[in-house]
Amino acid sequence: MTAEPSPTLKIHCEDVSKTFIQKGHIGVPVIRDISLDVEENEFLVVLGPGQCGKSTLLRIIAGLETPDTGYVTLDGQPIVGPGPDRGLVFQGYMLFAWETVMGNVEMGLKLRGVPKHERREVAQHYIDLVGLTGFEKHYPHQLSGGMKQRVGIARAYANSPKVMLLDEPFGQLDAQTRMFMQKETARIWEHEKRTVVFVTNNIDEALFLADRIILMEGKLPGRIKREYVIGLPRPRDHAHKDILELRAMITAQTELVL
Amino acid sequence: MSSSIANETVGSASVREGRTLWEMLTNTYVLYFVSLAGFFLLWDRVAYLHVFGDSLARPHVVAQKLYMLSQVKFAGTNLAGHIWVSTQRVLIGFGLASVIAVPLGLFMSLNQYANAIVKPIFDLFKPMPPIAWVSISILWFGIGEFSKVFIIAIGTFVPCLLNAYNGIRLIEPELYDVVRVLGGSRKDEIIQVSFPASFPAIFAGLQISLSVAWTCLLAAELMNARDGMGFLIKRGMDTHDPALVLGGMVLIAAMAWLSSLLISLLERKACPWKRSIENL
Ligand SMILES: Nc1ncnc2c1ncn2[C@@H]1O[C@H](COP(=O)(O)OP(=O)(O)OP(=O)(O)O)[C@@H](O)[C@H]1O
Ligand SMILES: [Mg+2]
Repeated sequence: MTAEPSPTLKIHCEDVSKTFIQKGHIGVPVIRDISLDVEENEFLVVLGPGQCGKSTLLRIIAGLETPDTGYVTLDGQPIVGPGPDRGLVFQGYMLFAWETVMGNVEMGLKLRGVPKHERREVAQHYIDLVGLTGFEKHYPHQLSGGMKQRVGIARAYANSPKVMLLDEPFGQLDAQTRMFMQKETARIWEHEKRTVVFVTNNIDEALFLADRIILMEGKLPGRIKREYVIGLPRPRDHAHKDILELRAMITAQTELVL
Repeated sequence: MSSSIANETVGSASVREGRTLWEMLTNTYVLYFVSLAGFFLLWDRVAYLHVFGDSLARPHVVAQKLYMLSQVKFAGTNLAGHIWVSTQRVLIGFGLASVIAVPLGLFMSLNQYANAIVKPIFDLFKPMPPIAWVSISILWFGIGEFSKVFIIAIGTFVPCLLNAYNGIRLIEPELYDVVRVLGGSRKDEIIQVSFPASFPAIFAGLQISLSVAWTCLLAAELMNARDGMGFLIKRGMDTHDPALVLGGMVLIAAMAWLSSLLISLLERKACPWKRSIENL
């Protein structure tokens, strides 16, 4: 960490640790000494099994939690709270049940006082981008799981964040839909490049999407175990020999089959 | 080959026909009708055979009684008058309570200090059955209108407050995080999440309150009243007029049902995202 920060450095985490005090327990250390850099427009995947602090790390970057030690910067500025420069796609969709698809997607712009006409236009653009054209007036409960998460993605995108944080966005989808949504994610990202931190417990998902994979330790407190740069061209094929080689390498590093 | 297909078609057609008849008989509305007709028939037979002596009136006698009351004045006013007096008591008591209890419940769940101050007192009064207030309210406020409205207000206050309170308490906390991440303030969290998310619970509370309100009304009017539907029931009891008692019961039930329907309609207006759940 002595080198000069690169000019395209977007996110920098420095020795971030977090311990939660749970009811009736002594503190549970959830992540410890996590340091990582994310370059501008890089697609970084944080790969780790269940319950290793992935969500906590993402929530710290989002500014929803404060680290006990260490700090996070965005464009060199320390993160002190949540803000519209970072979009978060939640593990459990977290759509507003009382808003339509349009109402959900335009919420960020509405909260920031963008006039109705203008925000409708932007929201429509992202609804189209995620492939939900025609569903603007639907309520979340009328949508399938995959469609719900498209709304979640569009809602985050519509706020024009510098960084997109995705927390196991496809964890609740069936394998088929999941694969399809991965392709969609790659397509959307190619279309509107952003710095992405994508959390998953699925190794194939990671290999399909990532420029770089951060592999987490499989137990609490979560730490970084290893890092893999995936220099393969897109669109990728799950069955490509380089991918399979990497897959074997990463699997060998993990106690659990991910 | 072709003959076997033909045979199959004939076979399945006859099966389908049999099914249609069965489906017709088991149609929900047909069953509703069968069930209601059976009930009234049973009622009529039981009354006709004097199973309960002469204290059960036949359905058509009850209907005649109600019709008669709608034509002439009874205890100063006709049937519509009695219905209206009772309804007014419910509306005022229920209206007063909900206008205070719902905002208070919302406020308590959003502000920990308000909660710490109000909750202990509220918990103290919560388990008290509302009808227990009847006697004390007559002692305090006499037998006028106010004591009746007071009982209804007290009874409806608890479910109104409780549902508004829990409606906000049970909101998924991560929904607030969504607002914060999108750049919203604490005020935005309340307006965009707390209020809309608690609407269904508030309406559920209003529904419960309304049924409590009619119960309290009846209790208050049975104790002392010179008019109203409860008064009709009481008078029927005193003069041994089962048709009048049953008529009053039917009227109260009808009004309670109607008012609950009204709240449901309001809820549909206020929560369009829930309407589509029902219509699915
Ligand atoms: N706000 C909190 N308060 C107390 N404990 C917490 C809190 N947030 C997380 N934890 C604890 O931290 C642990 C790790 O949580 P986290 O959600 O970060 O892991 P994860 O890797 O995202 O898990 P999953 O794969 O299930 O999504 C959990 O066991 C949880 O009990
Ligand atoms: Mg998680």
